[in-house]
Amino acid sequence: MIKILSGLHAPDSGGVIEIEGQPVSFSTTRDASRAGIATVYQELLLFPELTITENIFLGHSPRRRWGGIDWAEARSRARRLLDSLDCYALDTDTKVSTLSVAQRQRVEIAKALSHDARVLIMDEPTASLPQADVDQLMDVVKKLRAQGVAIIYVSHRMSEIFELADRVTVLRDGALIGTHAIDEVDEAKLVSMMVGRAIEQLFPKVEPNIGEVVFEAEGLNCGPLVKNVSFSLRRGEILGVAGLIGSGRTELALALFGITPATSGTIRVKGKQEVIRSPRSARDLGIAYVPEDRGLQGLVKPLPISQNISMASLDRMTTFSIIPFAEEARRALAAVKRLGVRSRGDVHQAVGELSGGNQQKVVVAKWLETQPEILILDEPTRGVDVGAKAEIHAVMGELAQKGLAIIMISSELPEVLGMSDRIMVINNGSVVETIDRADATPESVGMAMTAEQKKMDAA
Amino acid sequence: MHIRKILRHETILAVLTVIVLIVLSFQSDRFFTVDNLLNQGRLMTEVGLIAIMMTFVIATGGIDLSVGSIVGLTAILMGVFWKNLGMPLPAAMILAIISGTLAGFGNGVIITRFSVPPLIATLATLALYRGIAEGISQARSVRGYPDWFYVLGQGEFAGVPTQLWILLVVAVVSALVLGVTRIGRTVYAIGFNEVAARFSGLPVDRTKLAIYTASGFAAALAGVIFVSRVSTTRSDMGTGLELDAITAVVLGGTSIYGGRGTIAGTFIALVLIQGLKNGLSWPALREKEPSC
Repeated sequence: MIKILSGLHAPDSGGVIEIEGQPVSFSTTRDASRAGIATVYQELLLFPELTITENIFLGHSPRRRWGGIDWAEARSRARRLLDSLDCYALDTDTKVSTLSVAQRQRVEIAKALSHDARVLIMDEPTASLPQADVDQLMDVVKKLRAQGVAIIYVSHRMSEIFELADRVTVLRDGALIGTHAIDEVDEAKLVSMMVGRAIEQLFPKVEPNIGEVVFEAEGLNCGPLVKNVSFSLRRGEILGVAGLIGSGRTELALALFGITPATSGTIRVKGKQEVIRSPRSARDLGIAYVPEDRGLQGLVKPLPISQNISMASLDRMTTFSIIPFAEEARRALAAVKRLGVRSRGDVHQAVGELSGGNQQKVVVAKWLETQPEILILDEPTRGVDVGAKAEIHAVMGELAQKGLAIIMISSELPEVLGMSDRIMVINNGSVVETIDRADATPESVGMAMTAEQKKMDAA
Repeated sequence: MHIRKILRHETILAVLTVIVLIVLSFQSDRFFTVDNLLNQGRLMTEVGLIAIMMTFVIATGGIDLSVGSIVGLTAILMGVFWKNLGMPLPAAMILAIISGTLAGFGNGVIITRFSVPPLIATLATLALYRGIAEGISQARSVRGYPDWFYVLGQGEFAGVPTQLWILLVVAVVSALVLGVTRIGRTVYAIGFNEVAARFSGLPVDRTKLAIYTASGFAAALAGVIFVSRVSTTRSDMGTGLELDAITAVVLGGTSIYGGRGTIAGTFIALVLIQGLKNGLSWPALREKEPSC
């Protein structure tokens, strides 16, 4: 949708885009920017080795009479643009590679504004920002709005929508669901429009069916962020792992999965002591890991859906190393149907073309193909839209019911509280508390997450 | 989607190759004779063997610059084992090929165990292996091999040069391995995203080690064939061969960043390059030596 507006894709048929009453059609991004539409994409598209000024004026730099680039003019205009975005501290000659994500985003916005944009499209601008930067960004957006720039702000964070928007439009599966003035709707209404269901069903906790212990860890150590960790996991149980970012949650998962094997401690799978040296040995013990960084660790994006799904279970599928292609496609299709992955066509579409939620489902499908007994999910719903999130939660519940033991790492407290049977709180590499579902409240978990940190701050 | 793209690249390349061959055959009535074509196939074999294995290496996003030096090293070792150490020639051949394969294995170990970028690692071994070859040979060449040895590089089997049979077998087997096996799939996955391949439990290090070893083996085999073809052993054999091989691989559609590429593409590119080399030298030859 955004890609059509900004001219990256042409619409397949029909539809007229009007700007200030004039119908326009774009076949390239250049047409779109000439018409005053500028876009800030979810993935920032800057050249890290160029300076801020060079990035902002790439392709339309102010010229001197003989066609040379007027750098002085470019710098002063870059300065003015950055100042208008409250970035007084940024030097225009800094290389973009040295900037933080929030600063880079500001440069993107400046670049968009340098085209004299009248319509600014922002696609999930806050998806990768920490909270403090989000607040600053909100201020910038409000300021731009006050200057008369029309803004299309794409986000799945409710609080931002309500803080910024005058009107809100809900799209689901490529179709328009509705447009409302912001004071006509509340959060519950909006979510139900997005999901097509009411909000109460967001965490469909099914009655757990907990069996015997399948996995035990005792005194695990690995680097500075996994210290003397012990826990056990039962069949059919969802163990939530809560903790601040950098508390060692992911490091624990990486140790369990053999990416960075534990340096000491014992692991017992189904009562038998095992050593996990590599992801392969973890997989052969029935452990699956859906990693935190989908794009980098979870998927080979240019490869088709079918090949991604079969990737972890190739050893099992092949005879004399030869891949049975028909069988591979058939199993992928079954997995795609079971998990409700929405693709444009078939299982031969490249995974990179899917939306975040559907990509995540492909990662989950890949690991379910290995028929694991222990599933580790690291931030399973980060960067995933509300609809796909609910579907992933439903799948988790279903799997647990069938006897899969699940470890779910999440930064979202409601998710941890809503899905887990037990919650293990990690703080600074150690398990500080394990709380049963019945006793868990946002306060008790939140306290445990931050407790030691406060002690350390005080010291 | 991308499979279709690769096919398109190969189709275009094949059409281009056919056009070039047709144009060249009008340039000289000698070009399109069975004798000449088979002879060109003979000349293509050494770089061909190396390029086919190089396709695997480059498809993982790596590179192997040391192959030319491995050719030289293998050639020298064979000569020295046979002449100076008095080994029977078959044993010397086998031992030399094993040494070349070990040189490739060495590349693989440096790259996987010590995480050295392939470009740096094989640039270093390019100098190292050539240096060893020159140190051993002391600028002397080895000649006077028994007649049966020349069958490999100068003989024929069923009317086709012996080494061309070897090249065809290696090409077909490699095309199958890269196209339809778990190993090939692992190669592509590593080329596109090594981290995700590792996180999916694919044997990343083992596969890389295997393909650098195979690259060494191909270079060693090419070295022995080279000696048999030119009847002599010198330490500077195969100098620059790595660039010819890389040219063929990249022209054949393999992405230098990894992930894409097929053996068929490499093979067509080899034919195109060899055709051009041969065809473009004909008019010049005619001018110099009208009687030839």
